Amino acid sequence: MKISENWLREFINPAADAHALAERLTLAGIEVTSVTDALPPLDRVMVGEVKSVLPHPDADKLNICQVEAGSGRLLQIVCGAPNVHAGIKAPVILPGGRLPDGSEIRKAKLRGMESEGMLCSAHELALTDDHLGLMVLPADTPVGKTLTAVLGGADKIMEIEVTPNRGDCLSVLGIARELGALYDQDLKIPDAKPIAAVIKDMLPVKVEAPEGCRAFAGRIIRDLNSRATTPLWLCERLRRSGVRPIHPVVDITQYVMLELGQPMHAYDCTHIEGGIVVRWARTGERIKLLEGSEPELDKNVLVIADHRRVLGLAGIMGGSGSAVQDGTVDIYLECAWFSPTAISGRSRRLGLQTEAGYRFERGVDLQGQLRAMERATRLLMEITGGKPGPVTVMEEPRRQPSPVRLRRARLEKLLGIAVPGNDVVRILSRLGMPPQAAADGWDVVPPGYRFDIEVEEDLVEEVGRIHGYNLIPSLQYPGSASMALLPEKRLDMRRLQETLVQRGYQEVITYSFVDPELQRRLTGQQGIALANPIAADLAEMRLSLWVGLVQTLRYNRNRQQARVRIFETGLRFILEHNDIKQENVIAGLITGPQYPLQWGLPDRPADFADLKGDVEALLALSGNLERLEVLPAPHPALHPSQSAQLWLEGTDLGWLGVLHPQIAKILDIPSAVVFELKLEPLLMGRLPHSREVSRFPPIRRDLAVVVDETVTAAQLLQAARASGGAVVQDLRIFDIYRGPGIDSRRKSVALGLILQDSSRTLTNEAADAVMAQVAERLRCELGATIRD
Amino acid sequence: MQHLDDLIREAHRRIDTSTTLVALNDVRVHYLGRKGVLTEQLKSLGALPAAERAGAGQYINDAKRLVNEALDRRKQVLEQTELDAKLTAQALDITLPGRGHEPGGLHPVTRLLARVQALFERMGFRMETGPEIEDEFHNFDALNFKLDHPARAAMDTFYLRDWPLLLRTHTSPVQIRAMLAYGAPIRVIAPGRTFRHDSDVTHTPMFHQVEGLLVDEGVSMAHLRGTLSLFLQHFFERDDLQLRFRPSYFPFVEPGAEVDIRCIFCDGGGCRICKQGGWLEVLGCGLVHPNVLRACKINPERYTGWAFGLGVERLGMLRYGISDMRMNFENDIRFLQQFR
Repeated sequence: MKISENWLREFINPAADAHALAERLTLAGIEVTSVTDALPPLDRVMVGEVKSVLPHPDADKLNICQVEAGSGRLLQIVCGAPNVHAGIKAPVILPGGRLPDGSEIRKAKLRGMESEGMLCSAHELALTDDHLGLMVLPADTPVGKTLTAVLGGADKIMEIEVTPNRGDCLSVLGIARELGALYDQDLKIPDAKPIAAVIKDMLPVKVEAPEGCRAFAGRIIRDLNSRATTPLWLCERLRRSGVRPIHPVVDITQYVMLELGQPMHAYDCTHIEGGIVVRWARTGERIKLLEGSEPELDKNVLVIADHRRVLGLAGIMGGSGSAVQDGTVDIYLECAWFSPTAISGRSRRLGLQTEAGYRFERGVDLQGQLRAMERATRLLMEITGGKPGPVTVMEEPRRQPSPVRLRRARLEKLLGIAVPGNDVVRILSRLGMPPQAAADGWDVVPPGYRFDIEVEEDLVEEVGRIHGYNLIPSLQYPGSASMALLPEKRLDMRRLQETLVQRGYQEVITYSFVDPELQRRLTGQQGIALANPIAADLAEMRLSLWVGLVQTLRYNRNRQQARVRIFETGLRFILEHNDIKQENVIAGLITGPQYPLQWGLPDRPADFADLKGDVEALLALSGNLERLEVLPAPHPALHPSQSAQLWLEGTDLGWLGVLHPQIAKILDIPSAVVFELKLEPLLMGRLPHSREVSRFPPIRRDLAVVVDETVTAAQLLQAARASGGAVVQDLRIFDIYRGPGIDSRRKSVALGLILQDSSRTLTNEAADAVMAQVAERLRCELGATIRD
Repeated sequence: MQHLDDLIREAHRRIDTSTTLVALNDVRVHYLGRKGVLTEQLKSLGALPAAERAGAGQYINDAKRLVNEALDRRKQVLEQTELDAKLTAQALDITLPGRGHEPGGLHPVTRLLARVQALFERMGFRMETGPEIEDEFHNFDALNFKLDHPARAAMDTFYLRDWPLLLRTHTSPVQIRAMLAYGAPIRVIAPGRTFRHDSDVTHTPMFHQVEGLLVDEGVSMAHLRGTLSLFLQHFFERDDLQLRFRPSYFPFVEPGAEVDIRCIFCDGGGCRICKQGGWLEVLGCGLVHPNVLRACKINPERYTGWAFGLGVERLGMLRYGISDMRMNFENDIRFLQQFR
């Protein structure tokens, strides 16, 4: 909201400049985000009157104007504006002056004709962004005065952001009231003495929805001067408030709203049939609105209707059928109180954000209708003239709001500082809620314009904010008596993250909502859809972190990053048993060379085994690696024969595999290896339990076996371990060979065993016996032949 | 014995001029080997008269000892030389870069969250998390957001299409969950993802918040101020950091405030970052609204508390200079690697 300092000072005039006022307001919770000049520097810009206009002899679009600008001598000015003609008044910038954009205006020849200055548009003077030609000033504007003077002089504009609970501050009056409390000064409220009716005409008013409209005031005014224009001072006030003048009647209602916070509406009286009805709309009813749309209404929308049709949306926008326009002479002025609950959300639903709706949603003064009606009538009398009728007032019996008790002790307890009693009384009185003394404090009745005073804490804030939050000291609340549990078995997620970081992974954070199409491709499923996504490709909650990781891979590949190693932790959102499961997972993706380009390692692409090593490292942290089971299984995102499902003691932990080559091709991304694991089981470690380390020497024995390709490493290792017994301390595969000397459907696998006994030195004979046992088992069980 | 003296002199000369251990060994064999010159001399003692034998024997043995010592000395020298040469030959280019992985890095948001969390854990706060798909009760109703109130509309909420659920617009629902689960007294922080229907340079539809909550007996605005001052001073590592509280409105706190810090870039002199105002907005806070305590079955007459919520990406802007919020989630690896 934009507020003019000069306008504000008509209500209250503290001895402080605009910046100081802004600071005080901000620190009282009325945030002033900027203070700017209302007018640009209008150096040597005067009010001029165009006396004559002749076409330029050598240019079609230019005219030679003789302009009176107060110097006593006519100035010859070449002008290209289409709306220039003799008799109009417009701003003239004299030679030597500067436009707000800095360009200097000099005496010059334009197509051979002397020009002593420039006739200006509002746009050139940086007043509005109107490109409608010269800024035409009203006929009574005094020639020869500076434009700054006729526009009301220098002024500052405060841009104010009002929080949604403070509808009462959405006006000059409201801000003035805050300053009254802050500077402890009285307000000067504009004259609102009733204007006597000179005609008897009235419209019957029926409020059929009293829950939505607690007060309604209406008045007919006839015989307006239809040729009246909005005076410059009023136009300028509107401009300084960010409102565009439209029509004198509309401008006056806008002015009153800006000043007093009470929205009003004016109808062309001749278009109202019978009388006014305030009611809920009927389902399917339509209304053509001022801004052109024609929404279909339902019974949640409050409307103003006559006896035949809907005239407008109550408190939001009028209809075009009854709008005031050029030539309107009889008007009906409406000034009502619509309840926030009857207005809230409607503008949003209908896509109509208006100043009136904004104010009604936040709450307008329950007692402000007559004041606004009289203020508007008075301005109309001054500007358009006319014959006012009596004011019709329909009012629900006012329920006296129940007082809120403010306890002295509670005030101090919550603020942490004692506020003297007379300061409390002064502050609340200035805010329009003089407190009544009670046994342990005060009783306070909130005024009709405050909808945010319901409980004691609300009053604590009022006192606190005007007294000054920054007088509250800093105290440390004593330490906690209890200590949070720290289960040692549970791994800190940071360790998983650090492990991947040490293995060259970069953590990423991708959106929780993803592209449905990519998601379907990678999971074969549809995710939980958003009702109002911000973009079509961010419309579903992710079923897997792979969607974001693959997207990130694409993004980085498009930026020439060949080596991408990324991981993410976070929730995935899965439908399970007709419920939404929000599951914490960790997922990773690698592509490109396994190592950054270097001299000491071969430049080779990262593969399945590289990623599996990373996954195993994660499981090793919680001591779960030995219990990991890796089983081949198909997954829509993965290469059908390079995909594995991981299991941990009967629970499925996740997936690991090479991205399906077809998917990579469609997405135009390189081959990548991915994993995704549930976090919860990964974090469940065990408490370490110390065991003695054998003091007897270990013996290393190797065994090379030839087996069918179908025999897996897991089978070999399991058989070897089972047959070797407890003396097998460690068992590893250290070579796999295929090629000359080996049948093409078979492979040679080299096993390395570390044998060690915990109670005695293992003899060579004993070791030989173990190895024979292992070889025999592999031969019988897996069809292995032993290589020498 | 003239002959022997010459022999010894010659031996020393040959020892000193030997340049390899092999050559030196040849010299040793020549003089001291089984058929060596000095060995032969000893053997020839038998031919001498008995009276001379002792003296000559002594003389030859001394000569042998001297030659032996000279050989040992020379051997040590040559061995050292040989070792030096070998070691020199083993020289590495120690400027070659090391082998293996280069570490990746954590996302800046993770870094910031870890820092905030660490500071609050030192003050005895426990960390809590909550779901990102929330219901109206936890995200709004229990937090004293009235239906159809502009404050509720202002949250720009994402809703699910087929469920009466939404994406949490703040981490505040975790307050509700924690209070319902543990009751009072309580002190928790809750970091996490939050979502609002908004997208431009300073807004992304997803961002991170950290919620803080302390409910106990006799908690006041002064305690809120105290904790936040301490936290912000430690976070920014400036013990002279000035704070200012501005009244503000969040339905779930009353009194409510927004906290500004003295601009850390210009110390309040006015700069581009603080828009010449000298202050930077960092978080919102206040005393927990009695309606919220009541919704969580906590008696507001006995217990009072404070809560705050801070934007993590905002801290990233102030701490690391990430001015375009969208950079956080584009995940350009070259950008992210600055925050290892």
